Amino acid sequence: MLEKIFLLLCFSSALANQLCKPDASDGYKVRISLKTALGDDAYVWNENEMFFFRSTLAFAMRTHVSGQRFEVSNIVVCNETPRVSFWFVVTSPQNLSQLIDKEHVEEAIRKSRSRINSAFLLTDNTLEFIGIHPTLAAPVEPVTPPWLIVFGVVMGAIAAGIVVYMVSTVVRKKRKKNEKTNGDDTDGETRVKTIESGRAADGVYNLSFADDERL
Amino acid sequence: MGNEARPKWDSPIQFLLACVSYAVGLGNVWRFPYLCQMHGGGGFLIPYLIMLVLEGVPLFCMELAVGQKMRLGSIGAWSAMNPYLGGVGLASVVTSMYLCLYYNVINAWSFWYFFNSFQSVLPWSDCPVNANQTGPLEECEKATPTQYFFYRETLDISSSINVNGGIHTSQALCLLLAWIISYLFVIRGVKSTGKVVYFTATFPYVVLFIYLIRGVTLHGALNGIQYMFTPKMEQLANPNTWINAATQIFFSLGLGFGSLIAFASYNEYNNNFERQAIAVSIINSGTSIFASIVTFAIYGFKATLNFENCLERSRMLLLNTFDLAEDSITIDTVFDWIKKLNATYPEQFAQIEDKLEVCDLESELDTAVEGTGLAFIVYSEAIKNMPLPQLWSVLYFFMLLLLGMGSMLGNITAVITPMRDFKIFSRMSTELCNGLVCMFCLLLGLSFTTTSGNYWFTIFNDYGANFSLLFVVLIEIITVSYIYGMNRFEKDIEDMIGHRPNWYWKIMWKFVSPLLLVAVFIVYIINYIQGGTPTYQAWDKEQGKTVVTEYPIFGQVFIGLLLVSSVSCVPLTALYVFCKKRKQGHHDKRENVLSTVSA
Repeated sequence: MLEKIFLLLCFSSALANQLCKPDASDGYKVRISLKTALGDDAYVWNENEMFFFRSTLAFAMRTHVSGQRFEVSNIVVCNETPRVSFWFVVTSPQNLSQLIDKEHVEEAIRKSRSRINSAFLLTDNTLEFIGIHPTLAAPVEPVTPPWLIVFGVVMGAIAAGIVVYMVSTVVRKKRKKNEKTNGDDTDGETRVKTIESGRAADGVYNLSFADDERL
Repeated sequence: MGNEARPKWDSPIQFLLACVSYAVGLGNVWRFPYLCQMHGGGGFLIPYLIMLVLEGVPLFCMELAVGQKMRLGSIGAWSAMNPYLGGVGLASVVTSMYLCLYYNVINAWSFWYFFNSFQSVLPWSDCPVNANQTGPLEECEKATPTQYFFYRETLDISSSINVNGGIHTSQALCLLLAWIISYLFVIRGVKSTGKVVYFTATFPYVVLFIYLIRGVTLHGALNGIQYMFTPKMEQLANPNTWINAATQIFFSLGLGFGSLIAFASYNEYNNNFERQAIAVSIINSGTSIFASIVTFAIYGFKATLNFENCLERSRMLLLNTFDLAEDSITIDTVFDWIKKLNATYPEQFAQIEDKLEVCDLESELDTAVEGTGLAFIVYSEAIKNMPLPQLWSVLYFFMLLLLGMGSMLGNITAVITPMRDFKIFSRMSTELCNGLVCMFCLLLGLSFTTTSGNYWFTIFNDYGANFSLLFVVLIEIITVSYIYGMNRFEKDIEDMIGHRPNWYWKIMWKFVSPLLLVAVFIVYIINYIQGGTPTYQAWDKEQGKTVVTEYPIFGQVFIGLLLVSSVSCVPLTALYVFCKKRKQGHHDKRENVLSTVSA
């Protein structure tokens, strides 16, 4: 009796070992970068963490593959390295020698990615499933582009400034009109201005007072 | 007949600040650090300062003297010096007009970046996600996010100058804003300009100082500053170094545009411009050096960051390929591990050899960038990595705005002042006249906001002003020293400031500066001829980088037109005046004949 159980156990673990190998067609490689993610607060990756990981994956499979009750033992892990990377395959609960298809596994992981990440305090970049690309968050598109808001503020301020300037000019002109003087001065100013601007265009340089040599 | 009618600066300080605001512009920030880097770091200061003494200060003082004496814009001033040489002033105005057209586009970009800095995540820090949400946009991934933001979201640039498109609305709006503000600054001529320059001349220094403190405290900044200040003396033997120093001093001071003449024409007759000329030149060069310290600190930060990121990527690659524990390789030991792994696992290492990047701090520091690429791409990349990037971004682009707007003041004044010397325009009110000029420039400037607009901008930037300015200033100095006569010029100066210029000024004006200018001029022509077909950098969407492309025929024709249109003003005006005088002479002779007969 005992021998039979022993044989069965050996057989199942051997089978499991056969199913899980690097570059398995239905398996995925996982790479975890604890030090990069958590720095000094990084926990040590040990057997318990691996158990937790397998149970998380089992949870993901249970949630998204309808009908089947996956157990922790259905998640088979192999080829662990000091990097903290390993391969895993998922066996079917009914038939331990049959693997779940790659697509189903990928779909389950993709849908539960955020739960898996947060369980380990990691992110898409530090808990990598090689071959499963993370779905990037949809970009938050504000209704009005932010630059337009600042632009509007500045334009509004300038428009307000222009209005104030024009109003002040009008007020000043009205005040001048109310005072009786300054009518002649403005005429005089323009006359002087025209004469001055005409000087260079029409004048001819008078040589008689220059006492130096010239070409 | 009084000069009271001509508007005046409220005080000599306003004039000084206006000159500073005009001369200290974007070139101090983005051209001088580049030249420093190209020509041996600290060693470049030697030719730069020598050229300042030999060429910068004398020419600057000459232009101020002419403007203050003649009390007219550039056209009127040069016509008064010699009737045949009014074309010199006209060439200045034409060049200033070209500058006005394209310079405000840079201010529009500064506005755009400034407005976009008011966000929690700077838009140029990350790539936008593509349609499937599986990764970043392809164009952005091939280039960098900052490049993508500049070329795609700011400019929406087309693939070459032949490919046209519509006006990019956001750019057009920013250009409109830039012109409205420029107009408001010059709306009442010197009365309004004089008040604005208090701010535009001084505030950039506040920002530069803040940035200096921030810059030198950044991680890796000292690498950059060390790189800048280690002089590579062998560069001094390279004649290009000296030519570039002369050219930089020349353009940095803004000579030949007519702005200095215009500014000086609003001075009191007895204003001591000699001292102000020296002061402004020294302030301008000092600002260049100051800005380049800040720039190199930022360079050092960015280069160190890139270097460390490169090392980090190599480290991850090694860890992932060889499945080693995470803390076995640190950033410092990456190179040792590469050697070790290459020796122990050669086949596996050969597989990743092409993915492994070469990380080198020197080569990161060596990437010298100038112009808009430096200001808008390299700087914004450095800023996004600083802590609290929004604040630094806002400060930086605000400073760029002030520098650019300050220079625009001079450019617009250079166009308006000579215009108002003519009867047609002097009858109009200042506001209307200035408004018309600004409106005209805005409408033409909208063509720079189209999808191929940046390529046209580059044409104007590279060819619009450089050659014609050299020509103009050369004619100017020859006119003043020889045609007008050094004696007469000295007398004018004595009349204005009370003493004759001393031997330094006379030697520079008569011999040294003209010779230097002739040398630079000749080198320019030689380089232009030897350069072959002019080329430009076109943005390739597929590759995500700029590609050197030749200008098409119409582009080259346009460049030729640009050069010819300003330079030809001088001979054409001389010819025109000559013909007019001859006609006048004939007319007078005929009248005299008639009068004798009738008498």
